[in-house]
Amino acid sequence: MSAILARARLAPFKAATVARAISSSSTRAANPAPPDGTPPQKEPLMKQFKIYRWNPDEPTEKPKLQTYEVDLNSCGPMMLDALIKIKNEMDPTLTFRRSCREGICGSCAMNINGTNTLACLCRIEKTPKPAKIYPLPHMYIIKDLVPDMTQFYKQYKSIEPYLKNDNPPEKEHIQSIEDRKKLDGMYECILCACCSTSCPSYWWNQDEYLGPATLMQAYRWMADSRDSYGAERKEKLQNTFSLYRCHTIFNCSRTCPKGLNPAAAIAKIKLELATE
Amino acid sequence: MATVSTHAFRRLAAVHGNRPLALAAARFHSGRPSHVAKSPAPRKDTPTYVPGGPILLGTVNDPTTFPPPSKSDGSHHWAFERLLSATLVPLTVSSFVLSSSPYPVLDGLLAVSLVVHSHLGFDQIVVDYLHPRKFPILGRISAWGLRLLTVGTLVGVYQFNTEDVGLTELIKRVWQA
Repeated sequence: MSAILARARLAPFKAATVARAISSSSTRAANPAPPDGTPPQKEPLMKQFKIYRWNPDEPTEKPKLQTYEVDLNSCGPMMLDALIKIKNEMDPTLTFRRSCREGICGSCAMNINGTNTLACLCRIEKTPKPAKIYPLPHMYIIKDLVPDMTQFYKQYKSIEPYLKNDNPPEKEHIQSIEDRKKLDGMYECILCACCSTSCPSYWWNQDEYLGPATLMQAYRWMADSRDSYGAERKEKLQNTFSLYRCHTIFNCSRTCPKGLNPAAAIAKIKLELATE
Repeated sequence: MATVSTHAFRRLAAVHGNRPLALAAARFHSGRPSHVAKSPAPRKDTPTYVPGGPILLGTVNDPTTFPPPSKSDGSHHWAFERLLSATLVPLTVSSFVLSSSPYPVLDGLLAVSLVVHSHLGFDQIVVDYLHPRKFPILGRISAWGLRLLTVGTLVGVYQFNTEDVGLTELIKRVWQA
């Protein structure tokens, strides 16, 4: 009953908007609805995409920006849709990683318009300004938008990102609600490497400094009440490079496409190391 | 075809030296090794880079190593830096509020703290950008140059504070000049 009332109250507003929509479409002379009942075709809305290209088969060729023009009215709303459209319809040699297209796999991390982000979570701006797409900065490139993530994964493995406890309980491993809350904001990390590759310290000292993503995961296991190796995990970071190349630049927290805060986790590690 | 295969073999030989070719071929393929497979020991010699080839050797299953833990390089160093920075605030204020001439100890303390604070800050720059592991000559020159500069400044400040008006008084006079 209330639903009907609500609909009745909305009715005049709806009718007005529909009338406005009809009148606006009829005044658009360039875009008339075809008489045979097929939906009207939208005017093409072209946008340029300038994409970093480098081919390992021609290692002497310098990397270059290649420009593609895409009709946004026949393309999905996200940068990844445009990339897939370019690869499908214009240039099958364009190479990039992608998998889930919904921001949970972290494959399509790249530098779009100067910001590290996931292509699948980055909207295409409907402005005439060309979009610039580069691979993640300061990484070795395998091809086009595909960086070599070997070092990043090696560093992730070095912090032993799994539960370590020599005396696990017989039954389920109970954790209080408060202790579980400490892991919120850290366990959601998808390891897309947007934060690490936005960090100038990581650019210069990638071989020794772990980087924000790996450090936040290191703290995720230090903060876990079920893990009993906190002291060993902390001791590993007691050197000049692994942790202390972080100079609180905050690029990591600013760029994280999942809205996490690696800088806060690193600050907590520093505090715990200083006060233990 | 022949050129491609000779190129590939030359590349394998370049990357892997005189290791058995079978092992080299196994590493040449980029497929993931199984989890139970033992990862090869990290190589000490650095192989020459082959254009177009991977620069980062090994697989994602070889974890990076940590330097030996040392609190004086780690948390103690960090905490000392922060405490010194925080101490400088009241130290600077008190040096200028109290006239410097009757408090030479306070003046000297401020001068030494400032020099040590600057040394630690410049040292971070050297470690970040000119570390000896990447710049074996320039890195060592900068590190020792910085130490020399710090010692020289300390000597100069000592002489100035003992034989002249002192640091705080100097800044006051320059400020009011």
